[in-house]
Amino acid sequence: MLDFFRDGFYKDLVILLVITILLGAGFSQGIAWAIDAYFGDTLDQMIGEYGEYDLILHIRDEAKEAALRELQRIGEQSFPGYKLNQTLTIAGQANVFFGLPPEYRTREVLESITSLFGAVPGLSGYTLIVQPSVLIRGVHPGVREELREQFEALPGVRFAVKDGSNLLVLADGEDALPGVSAQIEQILGQYQILELRFPMGFAVDTQEVGEQALEILRAQERPRGNRYANITSAQYGEDLDAFLTTLVEMRDFLGSYASKVRIAPGPGVNLAVGERIVLEGETELAEELIVEVTGVFGDLGEGMIIQGSPVQSMDRVAYKGFRLLGEGERGEFIGDVEIENERYRLAYAVDESLRLLAELEELAVQASAAVDNAEAVLVTFQEALMQLEVLQVQMRQLNEGITQGDAKPSGEQFLITLLLNGLFQTLAQSVLNNGEQSLDSLQNLDIEEMRRSLDGISTQIANVQEIDVAAIMEQIGFVRDTLPDLSDAEIGQSIRLINTYLGGQVIPGERVQLLIQGERLNEKELEKIFQAELETPYLHTYSTSAGMVSPDARGEIFRILKEVRSIVAGLLAIIFTMIVLALDHATIFSTLKQLRAGRKAAAKRWLRLVDPLLLLGGLVGCAVLSSIYYLAGGQIPLFSPAVIAVLGFGLGVVLVVFAERFSPVDSMELMAAQSLGLSHVQIMREVVIPPSRPGLLNLLNRFKQQF
Amino acid sequence: MLQIRDLHKSYGKAAALAGVDLDVAKGETVVIMGPSGCGKSTLIRCVNRLTEPDSGSIILGGQDVLALTGPELQQFRRKVGFVFQHFNLIARLTVLDNVMFHLVLAGMDRDQARERALAALDKVGLKAAAERKPGQLSGGQQQRVGIARALAAHPEIMLWDEPTASLDPILVGEVLEVMEELVKHSGTTMVIVTHEVSFALRAAHRIVFMDRGKVVEEGEPERVFAQPRSEIAALYKKLLMN
Repeated sequence: MLDFFRDGFYKDLVILLVITILLGAGFSQGIAWAIDAYFGDTLDQMIGEYGEYDLILHIRDEAKEAALRELQRIGEQSFPGYKLNQTLTIAGQANVFFGLPPEYRTREVLESITSLFGAVPGLSGYTLIVQPSVLIRGVHPGVREELREQFEALPGVRFAVKDGSNLLVLADGEDALPGVSAQIEQILGQYQILELRFPMGFAVDTQEVGEQALEILRAQERPRGNRYANITSAQYGEDLDAFLTTLVEMRDFLGSYASKVRIAPGPGVNLAVGERIVLEGETELAEELIVEVTGVFGDLGEGMIIQGSPVQSMDRVAYKGFRLLGEGERGEFIGDVEIENERYRLAYAVDESLRLLAELEELAVQASAAVDNAEAVLVTFQEALMQLEVLQVQMRQLNEGITQGDAKPSGEQFLITLLLNGLFQTLAQSVLNNGEQSLDSLQNLDIEEMRRSLDGISTQIANVQEIDVAAIMEQIGFVRDTLPDLSDAEIGQSIRLINTYLGGQVIPGERVQLLIQGERLNEKELEKIFQAELETPYLHTYSTSAGMVSPDARGEIFRILKEVRSIVAGLLAIIFTMIVLALDHATIFSTLKQLRAGRKAAAKRWLRLVDPLLLLGGLVGCAVLSSIYYLAGGQIPLFSPAVIAVLGFGLGVVLVVFAERFSPVDSMELMAAQSLGLSHVQIMREVVIPPSRPGLLNLLNRFKQQF
Repeated sequence: MLQIRDLHKSYGKAAALAGVDLDVAKGETVVIMGPSGCGKSTLIRCVNRLTEPDSGSIILGGQDVLALTGPELQQFRRKVGFVFQHFNLIARLTVLDNVMFHLVLAGMDRDQARERALAALDKVGLKAAAERKPGQLSGGQQQRVGIARALAAHPEIMLWDEPTASLDPILVGEVLEVMEELVKHSGTTMVIVTHEVSFALRAAHRIVFMDRGKVVEEGEPERVFAQPRSEIAALYKKLLMN
């Protein structure tokens, strides 16, 4: 095989390899550079060059025009020489870049952005992008000022600006950034925030517990010299607090709205919270009724329905309770269970209220009519009483006349006297005796008082009638209609879900934050100590840093672009290698395989075992790919130089195996050339390469080809 | 001129040559005949090292052929003309270039090579087709170009590997005619592998019969066909009689 290269073709091969590698590297790097340049330029157009702009103002898109006018006004008035550039609008937010003249890049200005630009219409926020700077994210408010002082004392630092929960440290120049960044990292490394978290619903006096925790920390023997402080900050923010409060209220409401389940366990039965009981009543239910024990208080237990609906009843309904075993199997009887359906009662009460109001309205109408009738009766009664008084007087006069008989009566009077003498004497006497007494008592009735009372009742009835009963009924009906239409099972599941959240599985509860400056402590070791000392087994400890150095957005984008360039260069190097191997080197290996066909088998056994062509192909692939990859600056994640070398070797081996398919060589022409006494280099240049696939080998060969 | 001794060649376990001994005198025309697969082609390919024998010796013009490597081997091959069964012309070259390119590559002046190539083409009756491509020629013409290519180098010995085997019967005649002419007038030593019995009878000084990788009989054409001693020779005699 070496003869093949020895008579001159090795020169052609070396030239081919060198040009292939240089061209491949140039091609890969060039394309990658072009992509990088394109994106870089696009980025520059969007966000300006390094240090050109100092802040991005996020403005609602609809207010963009007005905002730009206002920004121009602010710029001209307060920052002469400012720069303004409106770029992308993302999710309805226009991003406007604002560049301050150098003399205005001061801490005072940068910390007053909110007030300076507060009047910009549609402003919904801003991001500081002052360069050169180091951004420290998530700086704990308890150490923010302390850290700022330390950062500002560092060499190469102009000043540090507080930006929300971040600190932006401005460096003197771009060159100073790495040093400043390293020093900031070093300072932050000295701080550790230890957080003690308690489950939701666990009432904690954070100040008191914080002080206790500090004492516990100080009581530890090691390390000495550490500084500890309680820096517990506000909870998770007003919104989250309100949300948690709402959740608790909702859980309580649902709890009161659910049917009350009271469990009286039988003798020797122990109830456990979380246990499930299947109920059996006199009435057969559509779905099996299952309750979960939510609490055990002495001999009694409380539960919550998690499946099925109880009997609708105003009274307590008794059931037999059986323990629910796994997979829905019913276990032994555990006691009597009573269920009060509060929801049904409420609905019943609302319905009755509506009925009452309807009746009340009718009652008022009828009462008004009754009062009117009573007043009419009273007037009639009063007139009757007056007539009775007149009659009484006449009767008295008549009686006196009959009794005395001294008057000379006329004929009619005499006749009446005769008729009535016997009858009326008795009657009149009786009337006079009893009637006077009755009339006296009637006269004693306080008619006026009765009339006033009736007027008062009438007024009250009128007041009742003035009440808008229909509106009340409508609203009560609305309340009835809007009451949650939830079954007990749904309520139970909702309560369980809320409890899951509130139980600290999703939302943490109270927390105490401690600052540790000096040697770092192992939070998991401390957790056990705190749990024991504070007698709170549910307590957990977490360790966080006082702040995180974050690369600035622009630097991050350019770092990503650089990575993309390296990946593209790497991928192109692989693709280019595959192409040149298939187009150029396949021809050479195809020829070598043809020439080898007529040769004797190798004398050395190892040469029979290790195919020298495969080895050579692997080495060529390895050399070509590794060289192009390295020179092109390719860097694909997980593709280390060793991996690339192995990949190149593999490609070379594949190339040899399939060489004839990639680039077939006419064996008859080859044999003819051999028989005519052509050297290998002549065979390649004049017979094999000219009709081969167009490639670098073919192109270079044209300069040497004679026919 | 050519001495072959105890030549062996195997392809895997199959022995193509199983100890061949053969002598060819200068100017002699030897025709090798035998059934397909008996090792005829392998034998002449071993002579110019297109196929590497496993063992044995080949001496040509006093040179140990099997000891040659690199430029010496290439130089040796230029002295050996080889005509292939399938012509083996370079498809992309013209007829003239096919005949002269190896001369130029061997260092000959291009004009001289051209003259010599045209002369060779003239000998095979294809001078007029010098600028055509092989694909534009018939099979017989292509084989004649192949012969011209071998002749152009003025070889000391010409090896013919069944030159008419892949031709239509109609075209065989024109090739045999050229071959016979060359045998009679060129004076070049020739080893011809063919099945053309009548040609062998007319042109050969000696006929060698091979079977299963061995020379089974050899002698003057009249003698071997008159009194064949081997089964193969008898079969060829029968073929001649038919």
